Amino acid sequence: MEYVIEMNNITKIFGNFKALDNVTFNLRKGEVHALLGENGAGKSTLMSVLFGLYQAEKGSIKINNKTVKINNPNDASSLKIGMVHQHFKLVHNFTVLESIILGRETVNKGILKKDDARKKVMELSERYKLRIDPDAYISDITVGMQQRVEILKMLYSDSEILIFDEPTAVLTPQEIEELMKIMKELVKEGKSIVFISHKLNEIKEAADRCTVLRKGKYIGTVDVKTTTKEQMSEMMVGRKISFNIEKDDIETGEAVLEVKNLTVKAKNSKKNMVNNVSFKVKAGEILCIAGIDGNGQSELVYGITGLIPINEGQIFFKGKDITKYSVRKKSINGMSHIPEDRHKHGVILDFDLKQNAVLQTYFQPRFQKRGFIKFNAVSEYAKKLIKQYDIRSPRDEDSIVRNMSGGNQQKLIVARELDKDPDIVIAVQPTRGLDIGATEYIHKQLIAQRDQGKAVLLVSLELDEVMDVSDRILVMYEGEIVGDLNPKEITVEELGLYMAGSKRSDRYEKN
Amino acid sequence: MRRTRLLQYEGFTSFLSSLMAIVAGLLVGLIILLISNSEDAFPAFLTILKGGFVDGSRGLAQVIYFAIPIIMTGLSVGFAFKTGLFNIGTPGQFTLGAFVAIYIGIKWTFVPPEIHWLVALLGAMVAGAVWGSGPGILKAFFNVNEVITSIMMNYIGMYLVNMSIVKTVYDSLKNQTKPVLKSAVLPKAGMDKLFNTSNVSIGIFIVILAVIVIYIILQKTTFGYELKACGSNKDASKYAGINEKRSIVLSMVIAGALSGLGGGLLYLSGSGKYIHVLDVLAPEGFSGISVSLLGMSHPIGIFLAGLFIAHLEVGGFNIQLYNFVPEVIDMIIAVIIYCGAFALLFKQIISKFIIHDTDEDIGKSVQAADIPASYESSVVNAETEEKTEQREDKK
Amino acid sequence: MSTVYFLAQQTMYFAIPLLIVALGGMFSERSGIVNIALEGIMVVGAFFGIGFIHIFQDSMSGQSLLLLAVLVSALTGAIFSLFHAFASINLKANQVISGTALNMFAPAFAIYTARMIQGVQQVQFMDTFYIRSVPILGDIPILGPIMFKNAYITTYIGLLIALIAWFIINHTRFGLRLRACGEHPQAADSVGINVYHIRYAGVIISGILAGIGGLTFVVPTSTNFNATVAGYGFLALAVLIFGQWRTKKIFVAAFFFGIMKTFASAYSGIPFLKGLPISNEVYKMIPYIATLIVLTFSSKKSQAPRAEGIPYDKGSR
Repeated sequence: MEYVIEMNNITKIFGNFKALDNVTFNLRKGEVHALLGENGAGKSTLMSVLFGLYQAEKGSIKINNKTVKINNPNDASSLKIGMVHQHFKLVHNFTVLESIILGRETVNKGILKKDDARKKVMELSERYKLRIDPDAYISDITVGMQQRVEILKMLYSDSEILIFDEPTAVLTPQEIEELMKIMKELVKEGKSIVFISHKLNEIKEAADRCTVLRKGKYIGTVDVKTTTKEQMSEMMVGRKISFNIEKDDIETGEAVLEVKNLTVKAKNSKKNMVNNVSFKVKAGEILCIAGIDGNGQSELVYGITGLIPINEGQIFFKGKDITKYSVRKKSINGMSHIPEDRHKHGVILDFDLKQNAVLQTYFQPRFQKRGFIKFNAVSEYAKKLIKQYDIRSPRDEDSIVRNMSGGNQQKLIVARELDKDPDIVIAVQPTRGLDIGATEYIHKQLIAQRDQGKAVLLVSLELDEVMDVSDRILVMYEGEIVGDLNPKEITVEELGLYMAGSKRSDRYEKN
Repeated sequence: MRRTRLLQYEGFTSFLSSLMAIVAGLLVGLIILLISNSEDAFPAFLTILKGGFVDGSRGLAQVIYFAIPIIMTGLSVGFAFKTGLFNIGTPGQFTLGAFVAIYIGIKWTFVPPEIHWLVALLGAMVAGAVWGSGPGILKAFFNVNEVITSIMMNYIGMYLVNMSIVKTVYDSLKNQTKPVLKSAVLPKAGMDKLFNTSNVSIGIFIVILAVIVIYIILQKTTFGYELKACGSNKDASKYAGINEKRSIVLSMVIAGALSGLGGGLLYLSGSGKYIHVLDVLAPEGFSGISVSLLGMSHPIGIFLAGLFIAHLEVGGFNIQLYNFVPEVIDMIIAVIIYCGAFALLFKQIISKFIIHDTDEDIGKSVQAADIPASYESSVVNAETEEKTEQREDKK
Repeated sequence: MSTVYFLAQQTMYFAIPLLIVALGGMFSERSGIVNIALEGIMVVGAFFGIGFIHIFQDSMSGQSLLLLAVLVSALTGAIFSLFHAFASINLKANQVISGTALNMFAPAFAIYTARMIQGVQQVQFMDTFYIRSVPILGDIPILGPIMFKNAYITTYIGLLIALIAWFIINHTRFGLRLRACGEHPQAADSVGINVYHIRYAGVIISGILAGIGGLTFVVPTSTNFNATVAGYGFLALAVLIFGQWRTKKIFVAAFFFGIMKTFASAYSGIPFLKGLPISNEVYKMIPYIATLIVLTFSSKKSQAPRAEGIPYDKGSR
């Protein structure tokens, strides 16, 4: 069988981290080949190597049996490889036509000749059934059409091999159906497609073969028709050695946080990132929102904490309606937030450790008097946190946070938020970037909070964490809750199915 | 280790980059002098370097005189910068302050003479504050870029002041403002005897007071904390519940007041300075930008930078002795600013340097900057697996 | 009626330099580089252009001298702008600071050089370029006196530049790519466009045009150059913003501001204006106030190039 692409023994290293470890991947002509894996498995990296965005340390690439070197996207382009990125590279005030021809314009002595280009574009549009309006502005068209523009960009430059990176992440269900049809057309015309995804349903519907990666390693390639979703899910998720976490059974109390019919729209599109979500977090429980990154978890937390506005719904905290409360008011009332992006929200890099330690509390009487900061109190407080949480830094409480390692920055944030003695801790990926000791410590702290009767809302992408730390799991898929699970009663593989959208609890029929 | 310890002090790296910019500027100045007249170039250059030390106490008084307005405008630019704002509107705020000070100094005869000058200075501050609030409000509530609005306000202010002078305190013969009443002139408090010249007043003490006050605000108060947070990381400030709009407006109001005060101090110094009714923006306003950049937006740094630049200006004035044109100083300062534009780059390179040296974590992770974000969670697990495997092996 | 003609001609003198410089700013900013150094570049261009005329006016005169001077202004403006380009693009420096530095350097340089060479700050020149009336065209009723009498060829050069600029930015490949670099450099990069090269081109074009603009400003309105362009560079920035970075609107804005300037300076000579209780400072202020108002209400829908002012780093995807 002729392979159009052969990637052999690819190893890619960032610093001292192996993103890809001896991975092999091949693509047949005219097939749709899915790349499946969790966050961080290496799927995007592998395709970035193919597209020339990264260079592999080891391994080789063959296109149509010829060994090639792909040093940049231009090389990839001349090899007829095209890529539709997850974040579109379109200029908002260009027309569709201009966007497609950018970089490959037909000119007469430098003057744009749009008519010839228009003809070719409309031909392609017809042939592949890619509906577009060539004179519409990018900012005015739907996300689905924008994606078709990206596809046409590839076809206009005669790409034969098309890479789609998580193409359905930003599409509505109807647009996803259309995309599936489009891919079938492309293949009919002889194109070969790679599509990166974590969504088993779509892979089942559209792909011929599927290669699974896990933690940078090649797990296997299967024929999609003869492989079940459960089998693919198991390959994706694998068996893991879990941490042994000791947890007593605790009686849960009243609902501390209640979210009702929450809807949050995405910033730039009409898509509902959080779609009519309702749930409760009780005192004395760790509720974990599980799911693949990008299914609305971030927006859910930002909406609850007040960092972004919500479009519909209500939030109740300890019985009170806090929907309209400011960020600070929520914080003062007992809500702690360990944010997902520590550099963006969690710390001020140019401030020192002690200043960051009081980021949420500097205005309290214990830290200031009539507007003047009580430096001794702040220093003592910072020292206390350093000791308690074993935070390492070049100059202790006087270290500039920018000079601390990521793990220690995270410890500082966790220390600060937990020390507030909140009624609910909302922790998003709290152990990201931490070593095993620190991770265990954080888990212990979260469990201690829960044992004291506090509520913990944990958002995690780590299946171990999800299974071992939480008392209850809510799975989020495409902005909706699709399952309310008991970690003691399900397997990791089942969880994987929920996360990939192929299973829904009866209670959570599609909205 | 020693080397990196020193490099960690934020102040030290800032000082280094400022120093490099100064050296570059002076070098260019020297080259310009050499090209124009190689014979006298070196003596002239030395004169520039000697600056205010040439004429004994009178030279020092000159330096102080030049330094006062530009330290104030420097504080203005620097203070706003801490909040993440570019206050290019200092000429406008300065001129408004100057005008109001003069107006009060001439027209407000009902004020008791002992505090006339004080009232005039306060008026200057209010005028500057009002003028600074414009760009602040527009930025906070309408998200309009403060650079452009400040530039517009500079010109509007200039025309407004010129118009107002003609209508109120005009000396039509000399096309400038009338002299202020004696009671409005800043008291000398014996400084004139000390420095042997009439060119001094308590102005310098007011400047020092301002420097201290700004320092205290920035370093010691919760308000300063909030301003710096907004300037450093908007998102984290939001997370911390800080009211960004309020911070922006207040910051510009204070910055405006500082520039306005600078205007008042200069024109009430009793040294024969009058506002000329010309369509020219106050150069003291722009000097504030150089002072602030050199002083790395730190109050003490600004104070020193202001003295330094004033020192150069006096030197520049003196090189006329060698038939050189003093504008070479402005060129030197321009080059210093130009180099200052990429000083921040220099600082960032140094901090990257530091992180590698001082990371003491057990499971030492790679710098977050190196790994694509989606991998960070995997890093932990990769090491976890290694460690648990090791544990297994040990059993 | 002659008043109207007079006003129109004056407006030309004021509007054309604004137009040229603002268009220059447009090329720079739409490629992604904020350029507030237009004022300084105008000074440099004017200085060298007038200086050229001053040196050669004994052996040459008339339009050919002026045309050569235009070339000199263009060239020197371009070279000066390279400093800004280098700092902004290669060193990824703060573009506002770099621009301010250039603005401070230029007049000091002009004064210094003039004084060192000829003893005085002002560079004199003889105006041998004044066109009383263009043959034939000047006799056209109404249009003739407005556009073809009491004119300078710099006016026509300016209008030609406007036409060419409009064409380049909207109908050429270069224009398309330039616009992409200013709105979404990653998109441009991903299709193989060299963002750095294009941005250099954008800044150099702004240097050329601002240089020409400086000369165009001085020639009709004076017989000497005194190391200043009276804030025209900043006014051109206002024209650029008021015109929302688009050629047609910039054209309108330039003439609007030009008319205001005309009213301000011709104030006392026009009975109609003198009668109104508006002092001439107010006319001078109007363009700036108008810009503020426009900015306030259009910042949400501002058409400023989205990526302007942000240094482009190939590594960040």
